[in-house]
Amino acid sequence: MTIAPPRNTGTDQQPAPSTGNAAERTRVGPYPWAMAGSIAVGVAGAALSLNGVLRGWGWYWPVFTTVLVVCFTLAALRAVRAKPLLVTAGGFLALAAALTLTFFRGSSIAGVIPTGASLAELDRLIRRASETVLSETAPVAPNVGIVMVICAVLGLAVILVDALAVPLGMPAATGAGLLAILVVPAMIKPQSVGFWGFTAAVAGYLMILACSQWFVPDARTSADSARSPGQVRRAALTGSVALIATLLVPLAVPGFDQGTFPQGSRLNPWGTSTGLNPMITLGNSLRTPAGTGRITYATNSTAPLYLRSVTVDHFDGDSWGPDDRNASRRSLGSQIDPGYTVLVDEQQPVVTAIDAGSFTSPYLPAPYPPESVRGLDGRWTWDPATLSIKGTDTTSRRQEYLVRSSVPRLTAGQLARSSAGVQGIPEDFTRIPGNVPEIVRTTASAVAGSGGTPYEKAMAIQKYLRSAEFTYSLQSPVQGGYDGNGLSVLADFLDQKSGYCIHYASAMAVMARLEGIPSRIAVGYAPGRLTGATVSVAGEGALPEYEVDARDAHAWPELYFQGLGWVPFEPTPSRGVVPDYASEALAPSAPGALENNDDLAPDATPAPAPAPSAAPLTAPGGGEGTDAGVQLLPLLLGLGGVLGVALLAAAPRLARTGIKARRLRSADAGTAAVLAWSEMVDLGTDYGLPPKPSETPRAYSSRLRESSLLGEPGGMDDAAHGAVAALTSDFERREYGPPPERAGALKEGTGRTGAAGAHQEVTGARIAALETALRAHAPALRRLRAWWVPPSVIGRLGRLLAAPFRVAGAAVVQAAKAAARFWSARWSARS
Amino acid sequence: MESHRRTANDVSAANRNLAGVADPVSHLNGHRPAPMDGPSFHAASERILTTINTVIDGKSDAAKLALTVLLAQGHLLLEDVPGVGKTLLAKTLARTIDCTVNRIQFTPDLLPSDVTGVSIYNQASRLFEFRPGAVFANIVIGDEINRASAKTQSALLECMEEHQVTVDGNSYRLDEPFMVVATQNPIEMEGTYPLPEAQRDRFMARISMGYPDKDSEIEMLETHQATSPLAKVSAVVATADVAAMIAAVQQVYVSQAVKEYTVSVGRATRESPLLRLGASPRSMLQLLRAAKATAALDGRDFVLPDDVVHVAEAVLAHRIILDRKAAGAGETPHSVLRGILSRLPVPHRPADAGNKAPGSTNRTTPVAGLSRNH
Repeated sequence: MTIAPPRNTGTDQQPAPSTGNAAERTRVGPYPWAMAGSIAVGVAGAALSLNGVLRGWGWYWPVFTTVLVVCFTLAALRAVRAKPLLVTAGGFLALAAALTLTFFRGSSIAGVIPTGASLAELDRLIRRASETVLSETAPVAPNVGIVMVICAVLGLAVILVDALAVPLGMPAATGAGLLAILVVPAMIKPQSVGFWGFTAAVAGYLMILACSQWFVPDARTSADSARSPGQVRRAALTGSVALIATLLVPLAVPGFDQGTFPQGSRLNPWGTSTGLNPMITLGNSLRTPAGTGRITYATNSTAPLYLRSVTVDHFDGDSWGPDDRNASRRSLGSQIDPGYTVLVDEQQPVVTAIDAGSFTSPYLPAPYPPESVRGLDGRWTWDPATLSIKGTDTTSRRQEYLVRSSVPRLTAGQLARSSAGVQGIPEDFTRIPGNVPEIVRTTASAVAGSGGTPYEKAMAIQKYLRSAEFTYSLQSPVQGGYDGNGLSVLADFLDQKSGYCIHYASAMAVMARLEGIPSRIAVGYAPGRLTGATVSVAGEGALPEYEVDARDAHAWPELYFQGLGWVPFEPTPSRGVVPDYASEALAPSAPGALENNDDLAPDATPAPAPAPSAAPLTAPGGGEGTDAGVQLLPLLLGLGGVLGVALLAAAPRLARTGIKARRLRSADAGTAAVLAWSEMVDLGTDYGLPPKPSETPRAYSSRLRESSLLGEPGGMDDAAHGAVAALTSDFERREYGPPPERAGALKEGTGRTGAAGAHQEVTGARIAALETALRAHAPALRRLRAWWVPPSVIGRLGRLLAAPFRVAGAAVVQAAKAAARFWSARWSARS
Repeated sequence: MESHRRTANDVSAANRNLAGVADPVSHLNGHRPAPMDGPSFHAASERILTTINTVIDGKSDAAKLALTVLLAQGHLLLEDVPGVGKTLLAKTLARTIDCTVNRIQFTPDLLPSDVTGVSIYNQASRLFEFRPGAVFANIVIGDEINRASAKTQSALLECMEEHQVTVDGNSYRLDEPFMVVATQNPIEMEGTYPLPEAQRDRFMARISMGYPDKDSEIEMLETHQATSPLAKVSAVVATADVAAMIAAVQQVYVSQAVKEYTVSVGRATRESPLLRLGASPRSMLQLLRAAKATAALDGRDFVLPDDVVHVAEAVLAHRIILDRKAAGAGETPHSVLRGILSRLPVPHRPADAGNKAPGSTNRTTPVAGLSRNH
C-alpha cells in the first residue's frame, strides 16, 4: 500500500462530526429509561379510564405491573443497545413472562416459563373472558379471565406504542395506540373516558413526544432546535390537536355509540340488545341518547300500561338477576294461571297487541298479569311464581303477539283493608337477604316503622322515596360509583339520595321485605307515548297505538297483598305514573304525576293519562330546553360530522403545510439548508418527481431542472432554476462539506450565506420561487393532487402503514425459501 | 535502446542533473508544498485542459480524467485500438506541464535495466556510476506496455508503486510528481504479455479514448494536416505548481457519508453475483483520491457522492473480473458497475429532522441493510 502518501492529512483528519457521532452512538444515556417511563405513564394512565368498564380497582395492580415490566424490559434492552427487532421480541417475551407469573404461576416452570398446562389454563381464561363479554355489561366484575385479557392487551399496547415511538420514529403516531385504549371506555362508559384517565394518557403522550425530541441521538438537531421555545409550542399544539380530535371524533362519527365494536351488539348495551340480565342493562338503556329497541303496542286499557319483562326477587349476592326457575317453568299454552285468587269484584279485561320490533330479549314484555298470549313464534315458557314469559329457543325480536290480561280495579280502601297475613306464595318473595346494610334497616324502620297496615307502610316508603330529599339522576350513581344494583349499591343510594328507577325500586322492595311485605322488582317499560296511529284488533276494533323505547326502560316494585295479588307501586320520582290506589289523596301533584319522558314530545301525551291537567312540576323552561336540545342535537352531530370529514380531507394538506412551516422556521443556517432541501425534494415528489434512493442530491436536482416541471431555464422560470441550484449547493455543502469551523479555516469557500438572520428569508424566497414555477407548469389535476393529497405525506403514511406487512412479507419469503431448501435437500437425498 | 527513447534529447539535461538524484527529491519531500488556493487552482487546471483540447479534438473528458489522475498521484492506463490518440494525449499532458518527460517504447527485448537504469564503470574516476534509466522523469509514457516481457513490466510497476528505484543496493528516489501513463493495445494480442490483474490494479484509472465524433474528426483533418499540433504546445504550469495543486487536492474534505458510500460501492462489487473478483481495498483508496481530485477540479473543497460516481467506472472497471456466466450474457465490467451504482442508495443524513428515528443509534446501517436485501 505504498500508494498511500505518508502525509495525507486531508482524509485522515476527520474532526467533529464523525467522532462526535461515534461517541454519541456508544453512549445511550437516559433516553430509553425516560422513554419507557413516558410510555408507562401514557398506557397505565389510559388504563385508569377502564375503571367503570371493570368494577372497582382490584384489577389495576396486575395491569400496572404488567405495563411496568414490559416498559422497563424494553428500556433495559435498549440501554444495552440491542437491535430494534430484538428489543421488540424481548418486549413480547417479557409480556409472556409477566402474564405467566401473574396468572399461570401454578402451571409454569420457575414461575415465568409457561408450559402446556398453562396453555390449557389460558384457553380456559380466554373462554371465561369471552363469556363475560357476552353475558355481562359494563361495569363487569373483574374476574381472572377478563383481567388477564386486559393485561395482555395493555402489554401489547405498550409494545405497539414503543415500536411507533422508537424504531419507526413516528412518536406522534403513538397517540393512536393510546387512543385505542381510550376508545373502549369512551364507547362503553356513559360518562366516557373520565378526567384522570384522559389527563394521564395525554400527559404520557406529551412526555413521549418530549422524550423523542429531547433525547435525539443525533446531536445536530438537538443542539439546534431542541430547547427552543418553538419546541414547547409545537408540543402544546400537538397536544391540543390530539385533544380536539379526541373530543370531535366521537361526535363526528355517526353511530359511534351504537355497537360497531367487535362483539359490539353484545358489548355495547346501548344498542338493541339487553343481554341476559335486564337489571344491569337498565341504566345504560336509560342513558342511551337516541331511543332504540322501539316497541309499539295498542291497548284498550284506560289506565297507563306498564309492560313487564321480568321480575327480580333474589336480593342476595353482588349482582341481582332474574331467577328463571327453569325447573318449575311451564310451557306456554292457552292459559296462564296467576296461582292466587284476587278477591276484587271489578276486574278490567285488557287486550294488548304488542309489536316487539327490534327489542331483543329472551323475556317477553307483557302487561301484568297476563292470562293468555297468542301469536308468538317459537317455544315459550312461563313461570308460575312470577308469570314472566321466557323463550327457550327464541327471543322477543320481531315478535307480534296479543296479550289478554285482567287488571283488578284496586282502591286505596281495599288495600288498606288487606291486613291479613300473607300465605300461599313462595318463600322467595319474603326472605330477607342476609347482609342488609345497617342504613337500609334503620331507614326502613324510621320511615315505615310507625305505620300499621302493610298498605300504610308501603305508602310511607313510597312517600319517603318520592319526597324532595331524593333526586332523580342517571349520572350521579355512575359518578358516585354505585351504578348497578345490589345491597351495597342500595346503601350508597340511601346515603346519596340520588339515583334512578332501579335504585328506587330496589330500595322500596328491600325495605318492604324488612317490614314484612312480600316484594319483588319488576323490570320492563314505563307507559309509552301515543303514536297517533291505531291498530285494529279482532273483537276490539281500532285501538290507539303507543310506543316505548330504551329510554322508557323502567323498574318498579311489586308488593303482595293478601287477596289482592301483586300490586305495583311507583316510588321513582318523575317517572311512570303513580297508580290511583297509591296516590296520596292530598298530594298536589298526584293526579298529574305523569312525568316520564313525555316531556320530550309534549304533543304526544298519552290520552289514557288521568287528567293530565298540565301540572308541570319541572319548570317549563327546562322542558323547552330539552326540546331545543333534541332539535339541536342532530344539527350539532351533522355539523360535527361535516367538520370531521372536512378535517379528515384537509389533514394531508394541513400536515404538509405544518411540515413546510416547521422546515422554513429553522434558526440555524446549516440545519436550514438540510430542511430546505427536504422541502425541495418533497415539493418535487408532490409534483410527480420523487427521488430515487440511488440518486445523489446533484443528480436529483439536475433531473428536476431538466424535467418539464420547472420550465425552460433562462426565461421566466430562471428564478426557480437558480433556487434549485442554490438549494442543492447549500445542501451539499451542509451534507458533505467540512464542518463549519473547518470551513472558516479553508480559503476555498464558495460564499455561504453569512448573515444568520437573512437565510430564513432567502430560503423562503427560494422555496416560494420553486413552488410557483412548479404550480405554473403542472396540469390542473396534478396541481390539485399536489395541494390536497401531497404524495410526500401520503407516501410517508403509506410506508408507515406498510411496514408491518413488509416485515411479515419478508418473513414469509424467508420461511418459504427455508422450506424449499429443506425439501430440495430431502428430495436430493432420496434420489 | 536509444531508438526507443525519442524524447531523450529533450530531457538529457534533466537526466544529467539527476545524477545527484537526492537533491530535487529531497527538496520536494522535505517540506510540504503549500496547497494552491481555489482561484489559482481553477485557473491552472483550466489552462492545462484548454491546451490539451487544442491538440486533441473532442476528447475533453479523457483529458480531464488524465489530469484528475495526475493530481490524485495515480497512474493512468490508456487502452484502445491503434490510432485514436492515446500517445498523443499522454504526450500533450506531459508537454503542458513544465516537467521532465520520458517515453519508453516497450518491446519484447526491452530489459529491466533500460527502465530503471544501470551502474556502469567510469574509467576516468574508476568508480561505478549510476546511469539513470528512462523512469527518472516526472511523467513517464510507457507505450504498448503489454509488448514487453513480464520481467520488464514488473520493473516499471515496482517503480510506480514505490516511487523509487533500487539498483545494486542503492535506492534512488524518483521525482515528484511522478506519473506513468501507459498505453495498451487490446487487439493484435499475439506475442504480447497482457498485464495480470495484480499489475493492472496499480493503475489508478483506465481510459478508453474511443473514436472522435464526426465534427471533431473533420476538424482534426483540417488542423493536423501540415504540422503536428504538438509542436505548438508549450508548458503552461510549472512543476512546483503541480505539486501545489496536488497538495490542494489532498486538502479536500471527505465527509463520513461519502466514505461510507465509497465503501458500500466496494462491498457491492464484492457481493455482486455477476463478478468473480470485486474491487480491492486499495482500489477504494484510489477511488476516493480520484474523487477528491475531481472535486477539486470542479472547484469544491469537499467530495460529493457524484464525484465518486463520476470516476467509479474509470477507476474500477479494469480491476474487477466478470463471472463467466455474466460475460456470456453480454455483460461488461462497465455495465455491471453502472448497474451497481444505479441501485446503490446514496447515504444521507436523515432527510427530515422531525421524522428521524430518535432511537436508531446508527443512522447508516438501515440503508446498508436495505441495499443488501434488494
